[in-house]
Amino acid sequence: MFVQIKNLTFHYKNSQKPLFENLSLSFKQGEVSVILGESGSGKSTLLRLIAGLEVPSKGSILIDQAVMNDNFRFVQPEKRGVGLVFQDYALFPHMTVEKNIKFGLTKMNRKQKQARMEELLAIVGMEDYASRYPYELSGGQQQRVALARAMAPNPSLIMFDEPFSNLDSKLQLQIRNELQEILKRTGITSIFVTHDEEDARAIGDRIILMNNGKIQDEGRPEMVLKSNKEQLSLAYV
Amino acid sequence: MYLIRKIRSQFNSWALLSVIFSILILLPALLIMVQLFAGSNENWEHIKEFMLKNYIVNSVTLVSFTGLFTVLIGVSAAWLISAYKVPMHRFFKWGLILPLAIPPYIGAYTYHGILNYTGVIQTTLRNQFGIKVDQKFFDIMNIPGAVFIFTMFLYPYVYIITRSFLENQSSSLIENARLLGKGSFMTFTQVVLPVSRAAIVGGVSLVILEVFNDYGVVKYFGIQTFSTAIFQAWFGMGDIYSAIKLAGTLMLIVVLILILEKVIRGRKQYSYSTSKVRPLQPKELKGWKKFAVLSFFISLFALAFGIPFIQLIHWVYMTYDVILNTAFVDLIWNSIFVAAIGSVIIIIVALIIANFSRLSKGWMGKLFSKITVLGYSIPGAVIAIGVLTLFLSLDEKVFTVYEWLGLEPTLVLSLSISMLIFAYVVRFLAVGFNSIESGFDKVGTVFTEASRTLGMSVTKTFFKVDIKMIKGAIAGGFILVFVDILKELPLTLILQPFNFYTLATKTFQYASDERIHEASVSSMVIICISALSIFFLHRVLEKEPK
Repeated sequence: MFVQIKNLTFHYKNSQKPLFENLSLSFKQGEVSVILGESGSGKSTLLRLIAGLEVPSKGSILIDQAVMNDNFRFVQPEKRGVGLVFQDYALFPHMTVEKNIKFGLTKMNRKQKQARMEELLAIVGMEDYASRYPYELSGGQQQRVALARAMAPNPSLIMFDEPFSNLDSKLQLQIRNELQEILKRTGITSIFVTHDEEDARAIGDRIILMNNGKIQDEGRPEMVLKSNKEQLSLAYV
Repeated sequence: MYLIRKIRSQFNSWALLSVIFSILILLPALLIMVQLFAGSNENWEHIKEFMLKNYIVNSVTLVSFTGLFTVLIGVSAAWLISAYKVPMHRFFKWGLILPLAIPPYIGAYTYHGILNYTGVIQTTLRNQFGIKVDQKFFDIMNIPGAVFIFTMFLYPYVYIITRSFLENQSSSLIENARLLGKGSFMTFTQVVLPVSRAAIVGGVSLVILEVFNDYGVVKYFGIQTFSTAIFQAWFGMGDIYSAIKLAGTLMLIVVLILILEKVIRGRKQYSYSTSKVRPLQPKELKGWKKFAVLSFFISLFALAFGIPFIQLIHWVYMTYDVILNTAFVDLIWNSIFVAAIGSVIIIIVALIIANFSRLSKGWMGKLFSKITVLGYSIPGAVIAIGVLTLFLSLDEKVFTVYEWLGLEPTLVLSLSISMLIFAYVVRFLAVGFNSIESGFDKVGTVFTEASRTLGMSVTKTFFKVDIKMIKGAIAGGFILVFVDILKELPLTLILQPFNFYTLATKTFQYASDERIHEASVSSMVIICISALSIFFLHRVLEKEPK
């Protein structure tokens, strides 16, 4: 197992009731997993815990057999080698596309940085936009740059927080297909968080259905969606 | 176990520096509090028995009446300007803030200069019309006079906060009241006053803190208050002990007032949360109403800015050739030097504490941000005495080290400019901190998090991302602090090194020596720099998308 979460418990600061209690979950290498759930179900928080942006109160997280946190250790987010694409992309507004993508490439020399940046712009089809600023890009273009930036340092795991929620439906479809293709091509382990059943079906090798901080079901997309049809249709009407 | 790991996950050099800075900032106040409850001496017994009551009565009288009048004037000006349109609306809208550029002590001696026997009014009456007036009608060097001065130059605090509340937060409420058939007066008393209570209390508490802080006005007018008593104890009797007791008592009163503010304001904030901010549309006024409102604005602007400003220009014209010499250049250099060093230190400390407090989501960060703001509530003279005590005791330690080393012992720290700058940092850190904190609030943490998942540490993220995204807030904070230090009087008077003057202290010295014409040039420099910064900040604030 590539990512292993064991007995994870997490409280938000001001709440008595834990969001997760003894949650255990794992992700296989090279797999595209989708965490599907309503807003407030805890799916984004789970990504933040894996990335090290939140500190759990109990339990452990392992990535590629290395302990990220347990009762004694806590590896800072910058040391985890995990890529995260934020819901509103979080592109640095004071940097060009080029600078944004090169931002995470700390251990390379200038030439290598340039080559890697060009390689990624080619992957996401944005070769002509290197010198633009984020505000000069459309939503879909920003999305692609955010993906390129997250992939640039070659993370062992890449995570997406509601990546399509800010795009109109036509663009959503197009980007989703592109993204799926890129992920398959690079073979990178990835975790998606979404509330959209269609997204989950289209992109996932596996769906994890989450409800109130608990895993309600998991498995192949058709299976999960079929066996939870009633509940899902109620939740998303 | 969890706690240890939690601390470890958040403990870094940012936390360490924040702890150190917070302790340093707390030390002067703590020293005063500790000494307040220590034993007594003869001077203090004397002060307590015969004078303390007088200080309290005078201070409380000044504060109450100034508070009352600034609310009356500030709130009505704010309401009239946001609800009605009169000629020169834009001019008055920010012109009514301008009196803030004139520090009350400058206003005090200017008005005295206008009204006294040799002033422009009496000489004109005498020489042109042969009228001799009874001096008692022209004497403002008393408590009502001081209340007038404070009201004129401090009401903008109430005006600004109330106005921005009314303009941005209350449009739907006010429009509804109008639609429900309430007239202007009823709308004002039944809707505007109650909903803007929190904003008004916020503004008036700033006024009250300024009145407690003041030394220049009351000293010039010969009114005995806590500030003058602290000066008297320290400079007159050389009795640091009584100065500490007085400072401590004043600090207790201020703390009580701050608690009272919290109680009155209740759980209300300056703004309630609605995502839709729609500015209030001012209504056109006609007939005598238009005339009345316009006269109110004109008289207020004239009294609080126009008249003293023109008088100062006249005095500058009379004296500039005597005053503008190399000594004056030194004076400006001194002022800019301490203000710039103080502001830079404040911005750096504020950045460190604000960054730590926003990234650590726990109670520690919150506590630090509270400590940071403490200094602004404490009157300058009190901070000065606290800092003085701290540096004197440090000097004693250094003294022994010097003796031990066989060097000639001197008072090193307590005579140096570093003591003055340290005191500025304690007093004005809140000003820089608030600006930077609101800058961080606007940006949020998502960019920081993005940077960290891309492999940058907290510190690298700070320099590459955070600091660049709050440039505006840093510049704004710097300007505010710079101007505050430039105008600062009581603290500087107590702590300035021998033969070291700033524009503010030199102005005060001239005025105390009854050379008020000579005081005008340095006053003018202070007023112009303050006015420019007010103009700049409000332009920036108004342009900023909300």
